[in-house]
Amino acid sequence: MSIRATITTQFEQVAVEQERTLASLADDLKLIDCGLDSLSFAIIVARLEDALGVDPFSSDQAVDFPVTFGDFVRLYERFAK
Amino acid sequence: MRSVIVTGGSRGLGLSIGTRLAAGGLRVIAIARRETPEFSTAAAAVREAGRGALHFRAFDLGETRGIAALVSSLHKEFRPLYGLVNNAGIGTSGVLAIMPDEQIERLIGINVTAPLVLSKYVVRHMMSEHAGRVVNISSIVASTGYHGLSAYSATKAALIGFTRSLAREVGPLGITVNAVAPGFADTEMTAELGEGERDKIMRRSALRRLVGPEDVAGAVEFLLSDQAKNITGTTLTVDAGNTA
Ligand SMILES: NC(=O)c1ccc[n+]([C@@H]2O[C@H](COP(=O)([O-])OP(=O)(O)OC[C@H]3O[C@@H](n4cnc5c(N)ncnc54)[C@H](OP(=O)(O)O)[C@@H]3O)[C@@H](O)[C@H]2O)c1
Repeated sequence: MSIRATITTQFEQVAVEQERTLASLADDLKLIDCGLDSLSFAIIVARLEDALGVDPFSSDQAVDFPVTFGDFVRLYERFAK
Repeated sequence: MRSVIVTGGSRGLGLSIGTRLAAGGLRVIAIARRETPEFSTAAAAVREAGRGALHFRAFDLGETRGIAALVSSLHKEFRPLYGLVNNAGIGTSGVLAIMPDEQIERLIGINVTAPLVLSKYVVRHMMSEHAGRVVNISSIVASTGYHGLSAYSATKAALIGFTRSLAREVGPLGITVNAVAPGFADTEMTAELGEGERDKIMRRSALRRLVGPEDVAGAVEFLLSDQAKNITGTTLTVDAGNTA
């Protein structure tokens, strides 16, 4: 599965588990508007660490939380290399 | 098997906690800088008994930057991480007015920053499992005064505030967070207490005795058990009635 597909699956799965309505995941979608809360993001980051073996937010380089869904995907693509 | 991390599990209260949890069938990973002979003996006894497990990982909790990698490797080896007992601590005492600044910073680093950062990374894994237990070892000096322990007391009180708010944050995901506040127990940390002082503490306690490491271990075991599933955000005081 591609990194993008893995991320999309996690967003969808966590939205179901947390009983939240997920917006359609376009690259320019602002994460603030995607329907998930901060707790959901924490779960997604933990699951992606398992699935992709990386966690961009616990690396030594300070990383700001991405603004859009596209930024989020690119961040993981960059770290997964 | 459910895995539980016990920091400071090499001796004192932490060793007692780890031994008790392993005897109850849990897989315990003790963290400290050095493995002790007492720990090796206890681990051998657990192997002999054939129930639970007692592992050791050397790590200096003063190295905050290494904590993420530590948790990541523990998760890979011992998943699922069900419990975290933040027990490691230092008990530097001294009159504040003459306490070196570095000692104050070190106290806060080991007793506050380390458990917070460790919890951050362990709780993430608990979140994705929708289950977990965190127990923070505070102290009765978080709520009563004791001469020479102002900096130490501040770190122990910090853990109580942390316990309450984190309990709210992760409660919706089925994770509980509690604190245990022991009274004075005989360990290396309290070794410098004189006979007179120990007598005074005993006389001031409703039960006229000191707390043993096994009493603290029992309280932690309870908070990690299924019986405590509806207890979160609280502090369980184990002090033989010293603050009653
Ligand atoms: N004893 C009491 O009367 C009492 C009362 C109330 C609360 N408490 C609390 O109970 C907890 C345990 O106390 P204790 O009496 O069992 O203390 P202890 O006998 O001095 O043991 C402290 C443990 O923490 C570990 N530790 C210390 N610095 C560390 C570091 N930088 N990195 C990793 N591990 C470290 C030690 O191992 P290494 O030195 O090998 O690293 C050891 O395993 C503490 O949080 C203390 O504040 C104790």
